[in-house]
Amino acid sequence: MSNLEQTASASGFDRAGTGDTSSPSHRGLAPVIGKRGLLLLSWLAPVMLVIIWEIAAKAGWVSPQVLPAPSKVLHTAIKLAATGSLLGDLRVSLLRAATGFALGGSVGFTLGVLVGFSRIAEAAIDRSVQMIRAIPFLALLPLVIVWLGVGEAEKIFLVALGVTFPIYINTTLGIRQVDPKLIELGRIQGLGPFELIRRIVLPGALPSILTGVRYALATAWLALVVAETIGAESGIGFLAMDAREFLRTDVIVLTIAIYAVIGVAADAIARLLERRLLAWHPNYGGSR
Amino acid sequence: MIPQVPAPPSSPAIDPPAVVVSNLRRAYGDRVIIRNLNLRIERGEFVALLGESGCGKTTLLRALAGLDPIEGGRIVAPRRPAVVFQEPRLLPWDTLWRNVSLGLAAPDAYARAAFALAEVGLGDRLDDWPRNLSGGQAQRVALARALVQEPQLLLLDEPFAALDALTRIRMHDLVRELVAKHRPGVLLVTHDVDEAITLADRILVMRHGVIAFEHQTKGAGPASISRGDLLAELGVVSHAAA
Repeated sequence: MSNLEQTASASGFDRAGTGDTSSPSHRGLAPVIGKRGLLLLSWLAPVMLVIIWEIAAKAGWVSPQVLPAPSKVLHTAIKLAATGSLLGDLRVSLLRAATGFALGGSVGFTLGVLVGFSRIAEAAIDRSVQMIRAIPFLALLPLVIVWLGVGEAEKIFLVALGVTFPIYINTTLGIRQVDPKLIELGRIQGLGPFELIRRIVLPGALPSILTGVRYALATAWLALVVAETIGAESGIGFLAMDAREFLRTDVIVLTIAIYAVIGVAADAIARLLERRLLAWHPNYGGSR
Repeated sequence: MIPQVPAPPSSPAIDPPAVVVSNLRRAYGDRVIIRNLNLRIERGEFVALLGESGCGKTTLLRALAGLDPIEGGRIVAPRRPAVVFQEPRLLPWDTLWRNVSLGLAAPDAYARAAFALAEVGLGDRLDDWPRNLSGGQAQRVALARALVQEPQLLLLDEPFAALDALTRIRMHDLVRELVAKHRPGVLLVTHDVDEAITLADRILVMRHGVIAFEHQTKGAGPASISRGDLLAELGVVSHAAA
């Protein structure tokens, strides 16, 4: 990935014609340490924190009931993975998140495209959507449980609800922000309405839509944690609540860590998507 | 396969004109921008349109391009005109050849785009991104995109205004050469009197929505009209010329 960045920024310099190969983003003493050194430094603090935590737990300064040692959590992870229960729960959680994301994403994107293109659709839809958006979507949880009970449908619905709005807003915004001069150009070049959308409007709206996707991934994950914590017979959240019954803090910490890792992974995938799809964009494919 | 450029017609008089405008009227509400304007441009003829800001010359160009509705009169053109604007208007998410072939519904769109880019001296940059281009290069791509359509009418809306002086001179030569080769009728809207004198076969000056002055340089040569005369027509009293 760093290789890719270097090629991109190098071509940027060709254009500027400076021929300078050092990165302009380096500040102060940074050039002395170098890129690799800075990366190492950024990992120093988190690693130190884990080491201190391990020492504190092992020395008995912190009760295992309060916070088990990281090594203990890792041990539990291996044990649970070996029995297969951890992977099963992980699969269930990921499936819920993916289904909810696909549903909410489709609804948000469709509504966003409609409202982005048509003033009539905007008048008909936008105010209602904005009013529903004003409700913190997690506040709807009791109502959703009354409607759908505690089950798969309720969890998927909650995830979809959280995903719909960020996708909707960013799709609408992206379409609105497409340069009208480029749309005019499309008309001059004789593009029909379908081609105009495919060649100009959607590519122009893509940076904004992908921002929506990244934001929606975070909301989806949050919705899933809440839904699984309220009531579930399987999934990572179930694992955590089950462990609470038996005061298994090691399992609870493990589930929290899993939530964190998957959240980071989802964000990384979204970033990768941005890099690939927005290679033309100076802010994404270029020097960053 | 390299696409064939249609052979230059033997006589412009036999060809249908690139555009005929009769009694054109354009207005925004009560404000009349263009009143009863008549204009005929032959194929292969290079017409420059001068005028102060707000005289209606860009409005005329937009009406010819079919971008705005017209309130009265007729515009008869055999085909959709091509336009080059002051800014290149390249799609940043498409490579250069994709930009040039935009709207080109031919099976050999790639070959045509490659040929057009080669004509403007960018034949080795087919897969490059617009962001890697200088202002002059980007404008050359816009010119290639216009000419690849084989237009019978080419509308140029101050296409050289944002370029530096040297690039502008090179662009003048390139445009003159390509127009001679493809033979579209050209309407160049410009502020630059010298540009009009160098490039045009005929110079028009627009004032208050009508064509107030016309001068044929073709045959007579660029020396047949002085800079000072044209500036006077534009309402600029030049002491240096007197």
